[in-house]
Amino acid sequence: MTRPSVLVCDDEPNLRELIRVSLGSGWTVHEAVDGEEALARARSLAPDLVILDLMMPRLNGLEVLSTLKADPTLARTRVLVVTAQPASEVEAREHGADGVIVKPFAPEDLAELAATLVAAR
Amino acid sequence: MGLAAAAVAAALVTLFALLLVAILSYRDASTTARHAQQAIASANQLETLALDLETGLRGFIITNKKSSLKPWRDARKRYDPEVQQFLRLASDDPTQAARAQDVVRSLDRYNSDFSLLLLQFLNRNPEAARQVILGAAGPHRLDPVRIGFKKFIVGEQKLADERNARARHTAHVAIVLGAVSLGLAVLLIVLLILYLARRVARPIRLAADAAGRLADGDLRSRVDERGVAEVGALQRAFNSMAASLERSRRELEEQNRKLRESEKVKSELVSSVSHELRTPLASILGFSDLMLQRDLDPADRRRYLELVRGEADRLAALLNDLLDLQRIEETGVQLTREEIDLSKLLEGQVVLYSAQSDRHALELDTDEGCLVLADRDRLAQVVGNLLSNAIKYSPDGGVVHIEARCSGSRVRVTFHDDGMGIPLVQQRQIFTKFFRGDAGRRLGIGGTGLGLALARDIVEAHGGRIGFESLEGRGSTFWFDLPHATAGAARGVGLSDSRRSAGGS
Repeated sequence: MTRPSVLVCDDEPNLRELIRVSLGSGWTVHEAVDGEEALARARSLAPDLVILDLMMPRLNGLEVLSTLKADPTLARTRVLVVTAQPASEVEAREHGADGVIVKPFAPEDLAELAATLVAAR
Repeated sequence: MGLAAAAVAAALVTLFALLLVAILSYRDASTTARHAQQAIASANQLETLALDLETGLRGFIITNKKSSLKPWRDARKRYDPEVQQFLRLASDDPTQAARAQDVVRSLDRYNSDFSLLLLQFLNRNPEAARQVILGAAGPHRLDPVRIGFKKFIVGEQKLADERNARARHTAHVAIVLGAVSLGLAVLLIVLLILYLARRVARPIRLAADAAGRLADGDLRSRVDERGVAEVGALQRAFNSMAASLERSRRELEEQNRKLRESEKVKSELVSSVSHELRTPLASILGFSDLMLQRDLDPADRRRYLELVRGEADRLAALLNDLLDLQRIEETGVQLTREEIDLSKLLEGQVVLYSAQSDRHALELDTDEGCLVLADRDRLAQVVGNLLSNAIKYSPDGGVVHIEARCSGSRVRVTFHDDGMGIPLVQQRQIFTKFFRGDAGRRLGIGGTGLGLALARDIVEAHGGRIGFESLEGRGSTFWFDLPHATAGAARGVGLSDSRRSAGGS
């Protein structure tokens, strides 16, 4: 069984690293630093999971989320939204987020949620 | 209004006077009538007396008895007073008075020429006297007297009728005039009431309507101010009250709007701060969890610790900038101004920041004697923020060129770098609190997004301006300018400043 692939989209390098390390060695990790890159890489990679920060330059997270969810070629891709604003969780779910985690988060929680989302497909 | 009331009063006075005239005329008429009656009665009485004289004389002559002469004697006794009264009553009209004189003269003639002579004659020759009395002429001796009386009575009657008619006419005219002035008074009162209704009641009703609208919240409600006297004063007072109400509501609304705006700014600030705090906090908590929960090799452990440390520094800097900004926004920038030689201050900052990066060359080019009157620490903070940005946003290293020029009344300091520049779409927001360029975030360039906002507040508090030009990928030039302090003036102000502070301490 191949390792699941994940696209980590965050403009903060430290957070990308934190997410990558938190997920552990069981994943093939790709990264994107802004909304446009996130969309482009998601389309070309069709990863199992996209971890998406809502506050990103160029194209904000909610727009990326809606576009991803509307793309039929990405039907199997799950999207986990990371937000610094607890209030935006509802909004994220309305835009089709499969999971939401609020910064700051425990690394184990993130790993567990990511695994659950991918396994539940 | 006063004029109308006066007219009504005048009409009423006229009415009263005319009624008085009418009443007096009636009284006059009745007095005249009574007077005429008295005069006629007196005339009749005197005529009866004359007849008594004649009858008495006649009886005496026929019977020739002394006793038969008694009516004659009695009449003779009453004769003089009666004549006096008759003449007095007839005296008020010249014609009637003349007639009365005629009658009395006829009567006197009858007495002296006839009756007395006859009596004397009777004593001497009774038969002859008797013949005279009983003769054909006898009964006609009193005719002139009778005719005189008749004339007088008719004249008196006529006079009374004339006077009566005159008085009645006067009364009639007075009554007609009275009725006319009564009508006039009524008309004036009606007009006055109409006038009051139109000029007083109607404007007051309109003012009441306007007050009602005002009470219902229509503060633009106004009334026409052209009312007379007190009504006009009421209208003006109403309008000024409404204007004042409208003004205070506008002020309240404006305050309310400002309050809402500042609430909005505050809530955006809280939201931004919350985000800015959570992001470094996420790294700090996340990496420390990882270090606690996982077996990591020493190199990774060290790297994560450095990340944690870096993010903690970022939090601390954020907190400092936040507090600084809040202090500035609440109380304004507190400046302790002194005369500063800009080139010296810039030199100090350049030395400080040169030590932070090996890859950057900081070039300084300043005019001599660029003096400014400024707060040393705050000015150093501005220079530090701009220098630190120039270094951070030219990650590949390079030259940062710093220039100070004092031309005329302004001193301008520019910071030029060959770094990544600022995309056009972000240039408008660059001084906005918490705004950070995309590149800065993407490349992990530290910062709070408050440095430029702080720099602008400080420069503006010094009476200066701050700005920049930038091309994405080609670098940025930030500048600020301050009023140029000439040496003498600056010293003068500096001295007076120090004197003030010495006096205050």
